[in-house]
Amino acid sequence: MFKDLDPILHSQLRLAVVSLLISVKEAEFTFLKEKTNATAGNLSVQIQKLKDAGYIDVVKQFKDNYPQTICRITKHGIKAFEDYVNSLQSYLGPK
Amino acid sequence: MDDKHLSEKESLALITQMINKAKDSYHDTGIGAMMWGAVIAICSLVKLSEIQFGYNLPFDIYWLTLLAIIPQIFITIREKKERKVKSYDDRYMDYIWLAFGISIALLIFIVNVIFQNFHPMAVSFRELGGEPGFKLMEYITPLFLLLYGMPTFITGAACRFKPMLWGGLFCWACCIITLFTTFRVDLLLTALSAVMAWFIPGLIMEKEYRLYKKETQMNV
Repeated sequence: MFKDLDPILHSQLRLAVVSLLISVKEAEFTFLKEKTNATAGNLSVQIQKLKDAGYIDVVKQFKDNYPQTICRITKHGIKAFEDYVNSLQSYLGPK
Repeated sequence: MDDKHLSEKESLALITQMINKAKDSYHDTGIGAMMWGAVIAICSLVKLSEIQFGYNLPFDIYWLTLLAIIPQIFITIREKKERKVKSYDDRYMDYIWLAFGISIALLIFIVNVIFQNFHPMAVSFRELGGEPGFKLMEYITPLFLLLYGMPTFITGAACRFKPMLWGGLFCWACCIITLFTTFRVDLLLTALSAVMAWFIPGLIMEKEYRLYKKETQMNV
């Protein structure tokens, strides 16, 4: 039986952000922007949606007088990502 | 990239692509590696020239290694500030190199204690007309090379950076060779090990870092 794909993760930019964050401990907003080639505005919106879902933590601080946004995946986010990948695999055929 | 919905295949491809991008996200500047490679090589070669040409500097050249800690602190702080991403390996790598530094300091201390006890014995033996066949100095270098190889090999293997992996192996090969060579050859091989393990990998890292910077600036 097919599981429903998580709608939060089943979107190109949000999935790209979570896939990047799953591989690292934490990343700056500029890093995510550079790797996804997204616009700052769109990325901010998608990050906020991931944060609201509890999938990522966002820390805003100042570094050398400039604002800095740091994102890291939460345990809840890791679990959601694992479930999402398992669901994808069940869609694409038996393991 | 925008907020479009994906097919299952596209999703898996995107996940793989992003994980690979994240893996390739950190480039060391190589400055620290180059500096330590140069410092150790210079210390060993100056010591060799002191023995070869029979002169003594007014200070022990190996104090240079202590002095090199100061710029290393600045390099580390600057590199950490510049990094936009922290990986899970970073902390382990820091601890490995810190453990290496502590081990080298302890080894220097141990060697000095052994020398203090061994030297009077050797002097008495010579005064009694004996020919000391055992020269302690010739057995010290392999211990240092053994330690040089360890963090270098681990870093090379963990970061999948072959020049450092080969550099670590080169240190261990020299560790065995120096067991059977004179102190002068030991110093030469130590200098060569430092160049192979740190200086050359550092140069390669620096070149890759500059390329990476250029590419990212072009993409912005």
